[in-house]
Amino acid sequence: MNGSTHLVGVDVGGTFTDLVACGSDGVLHSAKVPSLPGEQWRGVLDALAALGVAPGSLRAFVHGTTIATNALLERKGARTGLVTTEGFRDLLEVGKGRRLVGGLFDPQWQRPAPLVPRDRRLEVSERLAADGSVVRPLDGFDFDALAAELRGKEVEAVAVALLNSYVDRGHERAVARALAGRLDGVPISESAALTPERGEFERTSTAVLNAYLTPVMRGYLIALQAALAERGVSAPVNIMGSNGGAMALRAAAERCAGTFLSGPVGGVTGAVRVAERARVEDVITFDMGGTSTDVALVHGLAPRMSHDNRIDAFPLKMPQLDIHTIGAGGGSIVWVQSDGTLGVGPQSAGAAPGPACYGRGGTEPTVSDANLLLGRLPVGRPLAGGLVLDAGRARAAFRGLGERAGGGGGEVALASASLRIAVARMAGAVREVSVHRGFDPRDFTLLGFGGAGPMHAMSVAEELGITRVLVPRRPGHLSALGQMLADLRRDAVAAWGGRVSELPIDALRARAHAMRAEGAATLEADGMGRERHRHEFTLDVRYVGQSFTLPVRWEPDDADWTPLRTAFDARHEETFGYADPANDVEIVNVRLVSIGEVDKPALDFTPQRAGDPVLERRSVWFGEWRETPVLDRERLPVGSRTEGPAIVEEAGGTTVAPPGWTIEVDPSGALRCEGGVRW
Amino acid sequence: MREEIGRLELIRESLVAVVNEMRANVIHSSYSSIIYEGHDFSCALVAGDGRLVAQGVDDNPIHNFAVPYSTAEVVRAFGEDIHEGDLFLHNDPYTGGTHLNDVLMLYPVFHDGRLAMFTATRCHWGDVGGMTPGSLSGRVQEIYQEGLRIVPTRICDRGRMNEAWLTLLFDNMRITRERRGDFNTMLGTSRKAADHVGRLFTRFGGEALLAAIEELIARAENVMRERIAGIPDGAYHAEGYLDSDGHGAAPLRGRLALTVAGERLVADFTGSSPQTKGPTNVGPAMAFNAVASIVKSCLDPDTPVNHGSFNPIEIVNPPGSFLNATLPAPCGGMVECRALMCGLVVSALGQALPGKRTGDLKGGGNHVYVSGPHPDRGDLFLLYEYPAAGTGATGRTDGSHGVRAFPEGDFNAVQSAEVVEAQCPVRIESYGLREGSCGDGEFRGGLGIRRDVRVLVGDASLSVLADKNLIPPFGVAGGVGGAANRFTVVRRGETVEPSPVPGKVGGFALDAGDVVRMETSGGGGYGDPLDRAPARVRDDVALGYLTSGQARERYGVVVDPAGGVDARATAHERERLRAARVLAPATLSNESDLDGPRRRIRLPADLARRLGVESGTLVEIATPACGAALRGWAEIAERPDLALSADALAALGAHAGDTVEVRPVHLVPR
Repeated sequence: MNGSTHLVGVDVGGTFTDLVACGSDGVLHSAKVPSLPGEQWRGVLDALAALGVAPGSLRAFVHGTTIATNALLERKGARTGLVTTEGFRDLLEVGKGRRLVGGLFDPQWQRPAPLVPRDRRLEVSERLAADGSVVRPLDGFDFDALAAELRGKEVEAVAVALLNSYVDRGHERAVARALAGRLDGVPISESAALTPERGEFERTSTAVLNAYLTPVMRGYLIALQAALAERGVSAPVNIMGSNGGAMALRAAAERCAGTFLSGPVGGVTGAVRVAERARVEDVITFDMGGTSTDVALVHGLAPRMSHDNRIDAFPLKMPQLDIHTIGAGGGSIVWVQSDGTLGVGPQSAGAAPGPACYGRGGTEPTVSDANLLLGRLPVGRPLAGGLVLDAGRARAAFRGLGERAGGGGGEVALASASLRIAVARMAGAVREVSVHRGFDPRDFTLLGFGGAGPMHAMSVAEELGITRVLVPRRPGHLSALGQMLADLRRDAVAAWGGRVSELPIDALRARAHAMRAEGAATLEADGMGRERHRHEFTLDVRYVGQSFTLPVRWEPDDADWTPLRTAFDARHEETFGYADPANDVEIVNVRLVSIGEVDKPALDFTPQRAGDPVLERRSVWFGEWRETPVLDRERLPVGSRTEGPAIVEEAGGTTVAPPGWTIEVDPSGALRCEGGVRW
Repeated sequence: MREEIGRLELIRESLVAVVNEMRANVIHSSYSSIIYEGHDFSCALVAGDGRLVAQGVDDNPIHNFAVPYSTAEVVRAFGEDIHEGDLFLHNDPYTGGTHLNDVLMLYPVFHDGRLAMFTATRCHWGDVGGMTPGSLSGRVQEIYQEGLRIVPTRICDRGRMNEAWLTLLFDNMRITRERRGDFNTMLGTSRKAADHVGRLFTRFGGEALLAAIEELIARAENVMRERIAGIPDGAYHAEGYLDSDGHGAAPLRGRLALTVAGERLVADFTGSSPQTKGPTNVGPAMAFNAVASIVKSCLDPDTPVNHGSFNPIEIVNPPGSFLNATLPAPCGGMVECRALMCGLVVSALGQALPGKRTGDLKGGGNHVYVSGPHPDRGDLFLLYEYPAAGTGATGRTDGSHGVRAFPEGDFNAVQSAEVVEAQCPVRIESYGLREGSCGDGEFRGGLGIRRDVRVLVGDASLSVLADKNLIPPFGVAGGVGGAANRFTVVRRGETVEPSPVPGKVGGFALDAGDVVRMETSGGGGYGDPLDRAPARVRDDVALGYLTSGQARERYGVVVDPAGGVDARATAHERERLRAARVLAPATLSNESDLDGPRRRIRLPADLARRLGVESGTLVEIATPACGAALRGWAEIAERPDLALSADALAALGAHAGDTVEVRPVHLVPR
């Protein structure tokens, strides 16, 4: 090691903890170690040790964590209390009467238990009206008794969610303060502080999720920081937020419901960098791993946001990147459905026993087994990591499937059918983030990464009529890279607006100015100088009479409403098939994204080795067996073109180009693939 | 062949994707809260002859399983005279509609000049004209009071929209602009979906796509035939009631004989009460709808929905009864009638397949309308909610509280208080669980909800269309029914009944400050409450679902002051409750025990005395082996034995000589 300083990104996955570091000398280091369930921070330290970078040389450290997600899935959050307006303690449990998860045609369906059971949900005598006026004052309420009751129930965290607090936070804040003063060390989550938007069920649920996770997140961050300090790391540790930007530890501990997508957003932010360097503006990210696949839509280099989210059966109203996850990946099991057709996933062979071809005891056929049988993965030649795949076991697994499907033999045909179904599922996920949001996927480039993404990206593209695919270098490390390159980001929203015909634009400018000042102050408090700030406004707009809104970018120096009006009508027509120019439009929310830009190192992803790139030639199934060259990506020079069928291998990633596709190495180092038919 | 089954799945996925896209489009661009908040709409693709091809996971069978009937009527009416660029509207219950508020738009999709498919969008419009705001009311007397009836109608002829017809339509509905907005939403959705289907024709090849659809339908049919063949052959009977037609005191009786013969299943509703002049009638599509929903749930919930699952089902339902009504019977109570039929199928099928027995549900839509002058806007405000209730227990699971049940799509039941209060002059005073309302059993039903809405302006009115206010949801396998639905007004602290017929309210005048109180039913229980694990009862007490008094009286579980189960006292209490039950061997009577729609239960005087019931009191008979408990009205009899007619025994699934329990039916939590 020389005297260079390092930026570090860490991505904790279900199976592996992946860490990359980039030195000021431009050299990229990476390490992959097994994740340790329950002790995520130890995996991070192991990875850091494996990397061999001096702890004192770290300049910044960004961490994508699955702490929040795991604690929720395993229901291992804090013993939480909830305080509501009198008459509404059951709202958390009954919501608006929807099931939210499954249940159609299933008499035995049961609603998931709420995170706070009924005996820990308490009420406060108070009430605000919809305009913020006080219907029932808080004066004289006995907070000592309320605090005593919460103490008696041994709560470790409290959520406060009062009706109409999005209009005026006074009562909610007063209750939170009164409790904070009486419940020493118990973190309190206020609903409107987290999301000052209309909708009491979603806001209550958000506050409860946040409270439920706060003690767990706090504990983790304290342990991590202490352990890093002990090893001589003094650099600030930032946590990746679901909104695609990093936040300081303090903020992460307060808004931990904003970290559910901390892991997957790393891939999206990494993909944005890749797209930017390859001069592509509109991409759909396709991050396919062993058990799941994450897809997201990036329009004009900006990932799409989603403000109405749900984790499990619980609404979460905090901005997240609009990432859609499906339970299908390389390890997904292929099975025979009730009507005799094939299904793929969501059951997965996971890391243990793994796909049949791993030879670790798995007997069910998986997507990876299908890929092996079809020649897309090497037989007899070790993969990166030393694993040698066993085609015999894969074949046996598919033979068993053939018998269950009512006829033996035809393993190759079955494997091929399985892959097509897996690909159809992936395409469904892409449609979810594109077609269902009013975008035509054919106008986008599919960016494939993760362990299995590059192998399936072109097939998924064909399925959707997409004709351009991009595969980054080090596709297996892109998520950690994305963490490393993340800017700081804070999102703010104000429930503010009205009919445009009645609204002076100056009033909006004044509101915007105040929000920007607040955003700047937050970034400064996190150590980000003003010269690095960037602020972007979006308005939530709809026609008068509608409920749902479309986001429209807004510039505070617009002279009048005309640009907003024009942009909204066009967006509505494109999204929903009609515009209503005779109708007035109204603004519902003002949103601000404040970004503090970090230095991005110049990463060189161009190949370093010379020589014949062809590793071998083998038969690969593309509807028929085709003699296909297998190329070493390290030896493919910039500008070289290869006609499919072709396979490109590198450490941790295999790119499969079917016939009809061309691969060209972009100056940025990414593989630029074109082919298929825009149907 | 192997490639083929992969391709079939692919095509299915692609078709479902079209429907999901339609759903997203409707939700995000619609103008009425019942659609964007309530999600009271459904989308589907249907074949050129009306058979259901694909629907999404969130689409509501109440809407969609009636679409095939409507589409077939449109095809019958226009035949060869359907062209590209045509557009059809329909809502008429007598030709396959649900109720008038559910307006169906059909958009034909052509391939190679041949009609290949329709996109179908059925949305509940907030108002379609008629007697009261919102159009649905418990007190109507003929269908003309429920709004405009649209028989199969071409509104757009080869791309030329009939604007005059549309103007006439919208100008006869309240809140005209909202109706236009919803119409535009459906139109935009249909066009986009048709484009999408067109791309699928290009991609897969038209003939190949249509052939694959036939193959998928055939496969679903084969699965359903196999499942039906697995049911023991025989005839299974059930009966149940709606409270009333909204005008008189008499209940309406629904009857079902479900016959399984090999791979065929015949549902025969012959013998149900005649159609009425109140809203509790349905047209011909709904019997099929109910049977299909329950058969699908019980026999093959997993195969994605298409028409094949329904081909083996045959419906016998003579016209003229309230379950297959003709002009001018109002049909606003469509959801109530469907719920009754669902309950009948659950009960009959449960006799054949005891593992599928499920406690009853709230029994309808629970439509509640509060409307009046809007103080700021100068027009009407209209608050429409349809509160959910407890779901039924099964042999393995307790019901859930206040939530959509399994035969319904997943849509909101009430709106956000903050949204409502910002738009209407009302205040939601409270919203929560209705304690003690569950139907008891070894597995208990879910709790209903209670919601109080205060009206802040005068000159407002309340309309309600709900059932199971007088005859509550039933229990199964000996389990007890849930509390009944109840809709009242609290005026200056006093409870006021807004209608002589509970649950059927038409334009009741509300004063400023009045509170509309909605209390919904509990789900029916499963099995004997005295067999419920005491720890579960203790937990229900700890969470306030039951009081400790209710735990003792209804479950025989004694919870000590520290919150633990007193095992000794519990054993003693359960023994006492068991001994106090009124049990008797049933004997066969050749005499009819029907009194109009009502089944009489002739009780020997000593049994009546022990039960504390008089002639005319609603009672029920249950056995551990029965599907639904059998309801009837007590009549003090001279004879010493409990004599039941053959059809009563059949509906109970019991034989002469079997010991049965007789008990009172409680409408409110005791």
